[in-house]
Amino acid sequence: MSLYDIIFYLFALLVLVSAFITVTSKNIVHSAFSLMFTLFGVAGIYVLLGADFLGVVQLLVYVGGILILMIFGVMMTNEITNVDIKTGTTQVVPAIIGVGLFAGALTSMMLRTGWNSQPSENMDTTTYAIGKLLLTEYVLIFELLGMLLLVALIGAASVARKEKE
Amino acid sequence: MNYENLYSSLSLIQPEITISVFLLLIVVADLIFDKNKALIPFLALAGLIIASVQVILQVTNTGYAFPFSDVYLSRKGMVTVDAFGAFFKLIIIISSFILVYFSYVSDEIKKSEKNLGEYYALIFGMILGMFFLSSASDLILIYVALELLSLSSYVLAGFSKLRTRNSEASLKYLIYGATSSGLMLFGISIFYGLSGTTNLYEINTFLASHQINHLTLSFASILIFAGIGYKISSVPFHFWTPDVYEGAPISITAYLSVASKAAGFALLVRFIKSAFVTSDDSLGYWEILSVFDWHSLLILVSILTMTLGNLTALWQNNIKRMLAYSSIAHAGYMLLGVAVLSNQGLVAVLIYFFFYLFMNLGAFFIVMLIANKTGSEEIDDYNGLGYTSPFLGVALTLFMVALIGLPPTAGFIGKLYLFIALVDAQMITVAIIALLNTVIALYYYIRVLKHMFLTKSTVETQTVSVIRPNIIFIIFMLAPVLIFGVYFGPVVDFAKRCVQILGL
Amino acid sequence: MLTEFGKIFIFILLAVVFVPLIVYVAKFIRPARPTKEKLKIYECGENPEGSPWIKFNIRFYVIALIFLIFDVEVVLLFPWALTYQDFGFYGFMVGIIFLLILGLGMAYEWRKGDLEWERPKPIPPILDDEPPAENEELKEESLTI
Repeated sequence: MSLYDIIFYLFALLVLVSAFITVTSKNIVHSAFSLMFTLFGVAGIYVLLGADFLGVVQLLVYVGGILILMIFGVMMTNEITNVDIKTGTTQVVPAIIGVGLFAGALTSMMLRTGWNSQPSENMDTTTYAIGKLLLTEYVLIFELLGMLLLVALIGAASVARKEKE
Repeated sequence: MNYENLYSSLSLIQPEITISVFLLLIVVADLIFDKNKALIPFLALAGLIIASVQVILQVTNTGYAFPFSDVYLSRKGMVTVDAFGAFFKLIIIISSFILVYFSYVSDEIKKSEKNLGEYYALIFGMILGMFFLSSASDLILIYVALELLSLSSYVLAGFSKLRTRNSEASLKYLIYGATSSGLMLFGISIFYGLSGTTNLYEINTFLASHQINHLTLSFASILIFAGIGYKISSVPFHFWTPDVYEGAPISITAYLSVASKAAGFALLVRFIKSAFVTSDDSLGYWEILSVFDWHSLLILVSILTMTLGNLTALWQNNIKRMLAYSSIAHAGYMLLGVAVLSNQGLVAVLIYFFFYLFMNLGAFFIVMLIANKTGSEEIDDYNGLGYTSPFLGVALTLFMVALIGLPPTAGFIGKLYLFIALVDAQMITVAIIALLNTVIALYYYIRVLKHMFLTKSTVETQTVSVIRPNIIFIIFMLAPVLIFGVYFGPVVDFAKRCVQILGL
Repeated sequence: MLTEFGKIFIFILLAVVFVPLIVYVAKFIRPARPTKEKLKIYECGENPEGSPWIKFNIRFYVIALIFLIFDVEVVLLFPWALTYQDFGFYGFMVGIIFLLILGLGMAYEWRKGDLEWERPKPIPPILDDEPPAENEELKEESLTI
């Protein structure tokens, strides 16, 4: 096991543990904060894989944007600490069967499939390559994303706006 | 960058460009004319007219836009413009025209007239997404277009914030939508991991030439089907349908039940045909790769969808909910047409969809007129309506008869072609199940008619008077339902022409 | 082994790890004698009143939402900014169209007043012409001084 692997497993552990806390914590603020570590850990894995642009996106958008938004959402609720979040377990047996099947399928897929992977010889920064793709093959996607963001902006503003009588 | 290539690509996606430009124009007009929003529907109409001309031209002007790379100019592109896509785009355009009039009349939309700019901008966002969905042949484009469609429709479902049901509908739609689009994205990532490409044609070549773990591929296919199944509200991804259809403004409900479904079907057929089918045989049956059994999956899902939709529709007292379940059932019938996996089945789906457009939107329009007047969508409140407002009563009766699929309406022709396709493909058992379902459907549609014509109302039924433009509009909707029920040749010919999907 | 950002990421990681590490190390070596006063939330010497969890203004959320969308826009512009020069005028126009679309969104937010901060309206104090009767005595007293 190289240093590389050890770091990977550390990040994976961080992701799993903090995700578990996110789901099970009774305090919604704690959930939001441990979600931050989940997102951070995923960013770490991206960086380890050499996908540094994705890592930056993960940090900028998820940790810096979505998480802040979530915490604002939490702060806007009337009752923050007193609210009784239901984190109990119901339907244990069906859940175990369902999750077990899903996990089994995923694991067997991961192990038995011949993934189309190519080891990269040199880990250059990916941002330039992505930019080149965005301007050639995926230029349509690039402009369409602009439209998508515009529609999202209009939609978000019109949902969040208070209806004035 | 090869500019020659860029110009030809851009000329192939003219309708989409028109829609985008008019989306921006609507936003600008909304910003300039702050007080007076009367212009915006006309701007929308202008955009739709231009786009419809361009779509009609696409029936003959076909090709691949945005090819995968400059180096491989021969390769097939990200957007496939063909007659099949044009047909679905036409359905989307027609229902958008109807939607504009719908919104013009609807009381719910009038109440939030101040936000008319957002309303039309979001509708154009939906149209843009649906246009790209019906001609996308790249998984990334499919996902972005799907998100464009979904995001706009989430907001539109909760557009009039005057009722809490609206927000509930919007939220439920969002949660189900986010889940299924997440599943779809997972499926897409597995496809990419297997083949190293997102282009459907390249995936096809890859699947045909490599040994692949079938479990993984089935898993990925089912996950992608989850995203599509959510759009066409097939079981088990249908849970949002009744709540959203009930809570959303009626104009949006009607639009979701037709246009959004059309885009979903176009996507499903193109995905299967482009990624899994190697060739057509002489009878028009598709030679499908044996990597995933689409036939069984689609038959299973469609039987579940129509049976569940029909059986649940029996218990509904709210007419919008009833129509929601009925639209689930119709999606089931149409999925059966896809499950045949032949050109004949596809023709049946196209014909069915074309007629379904008119009958479903017509039924929703009358429900809206009645709701505008009485403020109620409960079937019990329809008591005696057939006598106090005979025109609406008769028109709704005709639409219901068409939805059941009885002659002499167009609905019968749609079902007829579907059953012929099923029988020709030796799927007799399935055809019988579909037939039994039609019988169940008879009951709940007739129930509405019974309430209108036979049940005496305990309170005095309000007279719903219809102004002349609405009468003309209803007649305009009724005409195709009745005329195509007798003289359906042109539609069938057109559908047969449009069945050609590029890429084989 | 690592990309350029990977090296930066190590610094970010160290920064993130450093703070809790120091806090926990301090916890072990410092003396701990808690009293009621010490455990109280520090509010500049005032006695804290009510819960610190107060309801935020919804405006924060709207601004955060708008921020998020422009955040994504900026992220998409990074790769474009690196490469557009290689493509000449075409590359420039692709980015400009993208920016114009989003600029329209910005104009929309601006015009619709979503960026304005709704302040609570100040209530001007109402002054009575005649002072209350019982204060009469007090007033004269203060005047004499």
